[in-house]
Amino acid sequence: MTRTLVRLAFAGLRSRLLATALTVLLAGAATTTLVLVLEVRETGRDPWQRTFEAAHGAHVLANVPTSAAAQALRALDGVTESDDPVPETTIELTTSRSSEPLRVRGVSGRPAVNTPIATSGTADPGDGVVLERSMARALGLTAGDRLRLSGPGGEQEVVVAGTAIVPSQSRYPRANPGIGWVALSTMERLQPDQSAWRWAEALRVRDPASARFVADSVLAGAAPGTVSVQTWQEQRDDALKDAQPLQLILSMYTLILLAVVFAVVGILVGARVLEQNREIGLLKAVGLTPAQVTAVFVIESATLGLVATVLGYAAGTALAPRLAGAMAETMIEPPATAADPAHLLVAGLPVLLVLVLSTWAAARRRTRASVLNALQSRQALPHHRSLLARVARALPLGVPLHVGIRSLLAGRARVVLLTASISLTGSAIVFALSMQAALDDRPAGEPSDVPVELPALVYTLDGVLLLVALTALVAIALLSVRERLHDFGILKAVGLTPRQVASTLVSPFAVLAGLAGVVSVPLGLALYVAVYAAAGGEGDPVVAPWSWLLAVPVGTVLLVLLATTVPARVATRSPAVEALRLE
Amino acid sequence: MSVLLEARGLTRTYDSGAAPVPALAGVDLTIERGEFVAVMGPSGCGKSTLLNLLAGLDRPSAGEVWLDGSRVDRLSETALARLRRRRLGFVFQFFNLLPMLTVSENVELPLLLAGKRRRPARRTARRMLEELGIGDKADAAPGQLSGGQQQRVALARALANQPDLVIGDEPTGNLDSASAGEVLGLLRTAHARGQTLLVATHDARVAAAADRVVTLRDGRVTRDRHLEASRPVTLPFDPDPA
Repeated sequence: MTRTLVRLAFAGLRSRLLATALTVLLAGAATTTLVLVLEVRETGRDPWQRTFEAAHGAHVLANVPTSAAAQALRALDGVTESDDPVPETTIELTTSRSSEPLRVRGVSGRPAVNTPIATSGTADPGDGVVLERSMARALGLTAGDRLRLSGPGGEQEVVVAGTAIVPSQSRYPRANPGIGWVALSTMERLQPDQSAWRWAEALRVRDPASARFVADSVLAGAAPGTVSVQTWQEQRDDALKDAQPLQLILSMYTLILLAVVFAVVGILVGARVLEQNREIGLLKAVGLTPAQVTAVFVIESATLGLVATVLGYAAGTALAPRLAGAMAETMIEPPATAADPAHLLVAGLPVLLVLVLSTWAAARRRTRASVLNALQSRQALPHHRSLLARVARALPLGVPLHVGIRSLLAGRARVVLLTASISLTGSAIVFALSMQAALDDRPAGEPSDVPVELPALVYTLDGVLLLVALTALVAIALLSVRERLHDFGILKAVGLTPRQVASTLVSPFAVLAGLAGVVSVPLGLALYVAVYAAAGGEGDPVVAPWSWLLAVPVGTVLLVLLATTVPARVATRSPAVEALRLE
Repeated sequence: MSVLLEARGLTRTYDSGAAPVPALAGVDLTIERGEFVAVMGPSGCGKSTLLNLLAGLDRPSAGEVWLDGSRVDRLSETALARLRRRRLGFVFQFFNLLPMLTVSENVELPLLLAGKRRRPARRTARRMLEELGIGDKADAAPGQLSGGQQQRVALARALANQPDLVIGDEPTGNLDSASAGEVLGLLRTAHARGQTLLVATHDARVAAAADRVVTLRDGRVTRDRHLEASRPVTLPFDPDPA
């Protein structure tokens, strides 16, 4: 029997290529975003580890008030290697364009632990300054450029000797102030008051896994608030935090896509079950139970889900390193594909569950109809007494819109699911517009801690959602045409013109889209504010201006008109009798 | 009486698969204003095809259809729709009520299309449904009504605009005896009001109520017989005259 069910399921898939492709696209997109959430951070893990090894990184990096306190840390239990403490202080860096605070480290020679790795020019500052690479890039500085350093001791014009990275420093301007290395003598000139210096002691420990234990010992031996410590794990987490905004956005889009998958698959399966009522009746007549008929649909969805999961996983793992480009600023090599097999399972499971559940929910109710009812293709009675139906009756609507809305309300589940998917897509657009408004609101030239990949990612995901929503609308319009062909014939026989008949299909969709578009504005703004708060944004978020937001419901209506007009006009051109012959 | 509807050499051929199937082969038919014409013949003889062509629901392969002196078979779909809403009412064997609308809304539909405002249209629909004895079903869904009740609603919809011509394709074909009698009574009432009726039927009782019976066979008119005007037609399901 299982074999029969599988064969029936595959025959069903082959017969509806558009719905099959749409489901795979939707579920694949949801899997891709979910895989990206899981993978994007991981793509930086190996490059950071190699950076740590190349820099002979500090398992514990302590920042203390005096040189003596720093040197005392070398005697801590478990410490195997260290170098002379490195003094640091904050001064001002001024270029022709801007003035920024700079945390300078005074070095005499090359530190043995947590060694700066030159990425351009030299790591030896000489009489100049070596700037941390991400800061140099953000300020548009390269080796050989001149800038001015100023501190309490005076001003000094210096040359950028080179740029460098260390595993303990995350990307500027997220890590602000940025850091630079100068000769000890330069630092003494800029800040002669050594009581204003702090001292960094880089320690290597015998057992890296116990770095936290050593760090706690450092803190225990100092007055509260005078010492800060970072273990190598914390340094790594900090470096990988560049993936955090991406993960947040991707998580939001995953949820939106999963909700849209649920809605669209529910609509498609529901419509298909309705369309195939007679076939379902035949299957039941030859002995299939309602559960087995439902199983046919579930097998179809699960198959599509598996295909989508594999495709989505492949796309996600391939895309993840490209999205994590921001992390490359602080590492010796760009992020690399992680492709954790566990992520296939973690990403595939929710997508499969959503697909199977939406299919099961849509198919279960309909397969419970009696065999006779199914064979007669008897549809459920519309809800004439529902509040919405009564409101529609009371409104002075034209005949086509009135008839169209009543037809739409006959399938309330579909209306709810369609409104939800359009609203969610619209809210994602509102989110992107608000993000763009915030980016535009930033003063020109000011470095941003938003990874450059983020806007591109958001627009790409919006594009996918729009494509999916449009394809779904066309598919739903085609299904509606097929379901209502007989009604179209009656309407024509009663005296509606082809244009009016087409309007019974298009106009209610447009009204629905307008309402969903309006709903999407507050929904999108709420999403944006929530993500802004979750990302640690301070103050009131900048949102899209009303003129931009107004474009969302208007654009939604136009797109829906575009998606539904052609199928409707084509379906209503033939003579009435052709439609009526379908009875 | 004047000619209301005329078919000249009406032909309809269906292209289904390898060989074309002729459904109607050069039918000439003239219907006077106020006539009640029954079209009879065995299944597949072309009754429904003829009615569909005369109502502008389908396009002839050849021949002409004239309504009240105007040729209508070449009109666009839009013009045909406008013509149907003003001049024609159609009753189907399987009722063809719109399931998403209430009974009353189904009857209101042609009135609204003809330009009547919503409230007067609703009043007219309710009155018609009362006259047909189903006023209490006005807010029900068509699917909640019996076959006879649904056909009465369909008839109300067809008669709502008091069209010149009412065409019925087996209007009693799907009804029990009692319901068929009720529907026939309504058709006769419409006829008595001066409306022209063209009804395809297998039912001899319906034919007996007509002024004229046209018989089709293999897509051709084989007999066209006027019934005696003076005969009193009493059918077993007629309501008691008293």
